[in-house]
Order: sequence, then structure tokens, then C-alpha cells
Amino acid sequence: MRLACLILLLVSVCWALPFYQSGFLDFMMEDEPGSAMFPDLTPPEGPVLPRMPLEPVCPFRCQCHLRVVQCSDLRLENVPENIPNDATLLDLQNNKIREIRENDFKGLRGLHALILVNNKITTIHTKAFAPLVNLERLYLSKNLLKDVPPNMPKSLQELRIHENKITKIKKATFTGLPNILVMELGSNPLAGSAVDGGAFADLKRVSYIRIADTNITSIPKGLPSSLSELHLDGNKITKVTAESLKGLKNLAKLGLSHNEISVVENGSLANMPHLRELHLDNNALTIVPTGLPEHKYIQVIYLHANKIGTVGTEDFCPPSYNTKKAMYSGISLFSNPVPYWEVQPITFRCVFDRSAIQLGNYRKK
Amino acid sequence: MRVLLLFLVLLLCHAKPYKPINIMELMKIHDIMQQDRDDDDDNDDNDDYVYNFKDNFISDCPFGCQCSRRVVQCSDLGLTSVPSDIPVDTLMIDLQNNDITQIKENDFKGLNNLYALFLVNNRISKIHPKAFKNTKKLQLLYLSYNLLTQIPESLPKNILELRLHDNKITKIQKEAFKGMQSLHVLEMSANPIANSGIELGAFNDMATLYLRIAEAKLTQVPKDLPSSLTELHLDYNTIAKVEVEDFIRYKNLLRLGLGYNQIKFVENGSLANIPKIREMHLDNNRLKRVPPGLNTLKYLQVVYLHGNSINSVGVNDFCPTRAKAKKALYTGISLFANPVKYWEIQPPTFRCISGHRAVQLGNFRKK
Repeated sequence: MRLACLILLLVSVCWALPFYQSGFLDFMMEDEPGSAMFPDLTPPEGPVLPRMPLEPVCPFRCQCHLRVVQCSDLRLENVPENIPNDATLLDLQNNKIREIRENDFKGLRGLHALILVNNKITTIHTKAFAPLVNLERLYLSKNLLKDVPPNMPKSLQELRIHENKITKIKKATFTGLPNILVMELGSNPLAGSAVDGGAFADLKRVSYIRIADTNITSIPKGLPSSLSELHLDGNKITKVTAESLKGLKNLAKLGLSHNEISVVENGSLANMPHLRELHLDNNALTIVPTGLPEHKYIQVIYLHANKIGTVGTEDFCPPSYNTKKAMYSGISLFSNPVPYWEVQPITFRCVFDRSAIQLGNYRKK
Repeated sequence: MRVLLLFLVLLLCHAKPYKPINIMELMKIHDIMQQDRDDDDDNDDNDDYVYNFKDNFISDCPFGCQCSRRVVQCSDLGLTSVPSDIPVDTLMIDLQNNDITQIKENDFKGLNNLYALFLVNNRISKIHPKAFKNTKKLQLLYLSYNLLTQIPESLPKNILELRLHDNKITKIQKEAFKGMQSLHVLEMSANPIANSGIELGAFNDMATLYLRIAEAKLTQVPKDLPSSLTELHLDYNTIAKVEVEDFIRYKNLLRLGLGYNQIKFVENGSLANIPKIREMHLDNNRLKRVPPGLNTLKYLQVVYLHGNSINSVGVNDFCPTRAKAKKALYTGISLFANPVKYWEIQPPTFRCISGHRAVQLGNFRKK
């Protein structure tokens, strides 16, 4: 394997000369009547002029180093032609591309990563991704897409569609993507119940989902059990229901900061037995969520900037040490109405270190 | 070890124009290295890490970021500063699309293996002069779309590619890139740089191959750029003419981009200084005739002249009189959107092209 790897590298590294323009550059302008004026003009007599040897091409102004094609920041209005067929990474970010056409990625079978961040893409042809049979990362953030594009490659592992105009995630949106590990859908105008129940259920391997800074009002239902991180901060979620977290036995990190949560239902934490870090800061909680003393692994819990008025001695720690497998390394409670002098020191008996607790005064905004 | 080998291979083959930068390859190699560790799981009920000092801190990855295979992905998180708990063995950090305002002295402390750092699209106006003190292996540094007003001091010396697109840089101070001999790609377009903002000696000792200063305020071709350049892109400036001495230093140029300027004429003899040129874009300028000297460029294959004011084309404007003198046939000549009438151009004008499709004529359309 190592040898093969090295040979491959060696071959591609030593690929000789920098630049060659193989065929005609299509100017993509009007079909000139004039261009047909000179049929088969052969050079004058004498020896046939030498042709340049066949070398990899690179679109003008882009840089092609080995198999990385770097075309960012070029004001491109279309995906350029002449992308080398062996490209593994194509960076087209920060251009003015409006549309992805059917044949834009034709022949790019080896592409692993496609970066289209910060363009003006509104439409993607339904067959545009068909040639990309090995694509693993697709970054479409900061565009103008109204829908998640259809027919994405089955090989896809990471999909980022941050900051587009997506208003709806349907149940069938992500079917046929069994290899997805990371999904980032933040900053889209997703309102109320714009995410259908079970929309993520087909993503059997997904470990990270982030839907931050939208207007969804509840935790999406039917999340896959493979999930280890769920980030839903900056939404309008009002309640954490035990039902929505059912079966998330691998969840280790849950971010719910900056929502409008006033209630965490009993049993919610028990549905996430391996949770290690929970952010519930900047919400409308009036009590510490229940279930923390019984939870074996939770180490970090952010509760600052809520409306918690009292903290009991049994809120965080079990009566005896033995049931907890990990001590707390971070608890934040500042900016709550509870006066710190009313919280008894024994409340934090299962905390690793005094500095792990952040109390402090309540400041009315 | 594999990385070492990889770099050895790269060094051996430095006949290549660029020192290759291959992120994907690097990542793949690490995929292989890391595969065995994938299943590490501290959630097992039978393990004995209870109250263990080290394990009690969650230091594996900053909250909200994803860390896998030594790549730390923290884009689009609304971060206002660089997170503090980045794993020390990280090779690549993606921090783009956040709200970071400054890079502090210790932001990258201990990240001695860092290879690529992406800080695109933040609000960075300050970078501490010692911020890159320990990142000696850094090769790719992307700082585009920020609020920098000058080339940061004390950039890491070993970087291969630096991108500063769309900042507020007005000046390239003397020795701004001092000691950066391996900087092969420099992209600093969309900054308000005028010719007067480039201090004498700003590019001293550099071996840059690709340089782009497009969308700036240049009114002439800067004469003090690195002489090693093989690609120079100055499109979308307000350059008014090309003078004889403009390219004297740039004898290695293979590709030259001067599209979207205001070039009225190209002085006689100026193109003779770039005998190796293969591709030249002079489209969307104000040229009245085909630049003199094209027919002496033996290797020129692509020349864009569309969108100019060319009203006549001579029979020897493109091709030498002796056929043998041309070493590479043209594969692309564009002349459309010029006032010249295609029926007035004699067919032998294009006697040194690779095929009839290599020429684009067409009608002149007044905008």
C-alpha cells in the first residue's frame, strides 16, 4: 500500500511541464458566422510544425498543483472547462457562479472534494453530480439554493449547505446517502416545523448534524442513533421533549444554546446515556434539568443566562460518589437569578476542581 | 514517517513549476494512519477511567467543531475568536465564515504540525506578530475576505501559498515577504493597492511563480515583482498601456493576464522580453490594433483580444513569415467584439494555427 501510494505520488509529482492548452478554448459566446470562414486551413508548405506534447491542462488563472485545482476568487460566472480529469479537489469558492450545468463536472470521476462556497448558485442541474462517483465532501455554503440539491453522489460523507435559502427539509431529501457522516444546514430560513419528522432517519452513519440559526421551534424527530453530535443553537426551540431524543445512545455533545427553552422533560437525559457535554445557556429555564445526578458521563453543562431561581444540593451530583463515572469539568450558572451565596458548596461534591464551576452575579439585561 | 517520505519525494522532483500542494493526498495518508484508532471509545462501561485526571477534561475537540483525521473543521460557527482547545497534532484548521476579529499571540501555540490554516471570511484586522512563531510547518495560509490593512508582519517563512484576497491592504511595505523564499503562490487581488503603494524592494529575494493582483488600483504593470514569475495576473485594473520596460524582469512568464484593463497600446518591443509566453489575455481593453511582436513569440498558443477596438488585422500580425520559426501552433485566438470586419481579414493571417476552430471572429456589437 505504501509503495503504491509513493509510486502514484512520484508519477504525478514528476509530471513535467506546467502548462498546455490541448484543444480549442470554447469561448462560450455566440456561434460566430465568421469561424466557418476558414475550413481546414493547413499550414504552408515545409515541415509540419511540431505540436506540444500532451500535458495536463489547467484553466487560465486557476492553479493546478498535482490534483488540487484552485480556482477561487476569480469572478468566474461558470464552472471553467478544461478541469484536469484526475482532479481530487476542486476549489471554486468566492466566484459568481449562478448555475451548475449538466456537464460542468463531466469526467471528474476522481473528485473527492468540491468547494462551491460563496457563489450565487440558484440552480443545480439534476444530473450535474452524476459523474462524481467518488465525491466525499460537498461544500455549498453561502449560495442562493432554495432546496437541497437532488441526486447527490452516494459516496458523499460531508454535506455543508450553510447560509442558503432553504425553507424545507422533506422526508425524502436525504434518501440514497448512506455514507453521510457530517451534515451542516445552519443559517437557512427554516421556519417552525420545516424539518419533516424522519428526514434524517436514512442517514445510518451520520455522526454530526448542525442546524443552527434558523427558526425551527422543536428538535427534529426521528434522529438516527448513530449521532454523536447535535448542534441546534440559535433557533426558536421552546421545549426539550424526551421523545425527540429517544434512542440517541451515542450522543456525546448536544448544543441547544440561544433558544427559548423553558422545559426539559423528565427522562430527556436518560435517553442520551453517553452525553458528555450539554449546552443549555441563554434559554428560559427556571430549574436545573432533572436527571443529572443519575447521568454517568456528563462532564460539562452550561446553564448560564437562564431564569434559574434556586439550585438544590441534589441537582447535579448523586448522593454517593460511586454512581458517576466522570466528574464534572465545567458547570456554568452565572447570569441566573439565583444568588450564589444560596447555593451550598456540597452541591458540587462531584466536580473535578473548584475552577470548573462558574457562578457569579445575575445581571439584568 | 509517511509524511516525511512524501516530502522527500516532493523535494526530489523539484523540476516541477510549483512545489506541489496536495491536501487530499496528505489527508488520505493520514486516513490510513488513523484508521486503527477510529474505534477508540471511552464510553465503554468497563473502562477504568473514572476520576482519571487527564480523561476528566474534554479536550478532544472544540465544541461545535469536528475533529477527524487531524483536520479541525470549525467553519460557519459564529466564533469571535480562535477556539482554545485545538488538538496539538492538528494538520489543517478550517475557521472560515466566522466573526473572528483578531489573531492573538497564543492562538496557534503548540500547533507545531499545522500544515494548512483557512481563515477566509472573518473580520480579522490584527494579527499578533508572534502568532505564527511556532507553526514552522505551515504551508497554506488563506486570509482572504478579512479587514487587514497591511501585509501581516512575521508571516511564517516556509509557506507555499498565501491568499489575501479582498482585504483593505493599500501598501506592500519593503521586505514584506522577507525570508519567504518558498512562497510560490501569492494571491492578493481585490485590495486597494496602487502602484505607489508597492514600495521598492517589497518583493526582494522572492521566488514566487504565481502572482495575482487583480481588481486593484494599478495603472501600470509593476516593474519590481519577482523575476521568477511564470504566471502574472493583473486583470481588472486600470492599466493604460504596456511599455517596453514593463516585462524586462519577467523572462520566465508562461501566462499573462491583462484582461479588463484600459490598455490602449502595447509598445513595440515589449513582448520580446517574454519569449516563453504561452498564453496571453488582453481581452476587454482599448487596443486599436493587434499588439506588435506577437508573430515573434514562438510558443504563444492562446491570445485573447476580444472586446477591444481593433479595426484592422494585418496578414503578419500573428504568424511569422517563416513557417519554421513557430514552435507551437496557436490553439486559441479570439477577435470577436472588435470593429474589424471578419471578411476583411485575409485567411493566410491564420496560417499557423492548429485547426480552424482555434480562431474566434464574429461580429462587433456596440455595447
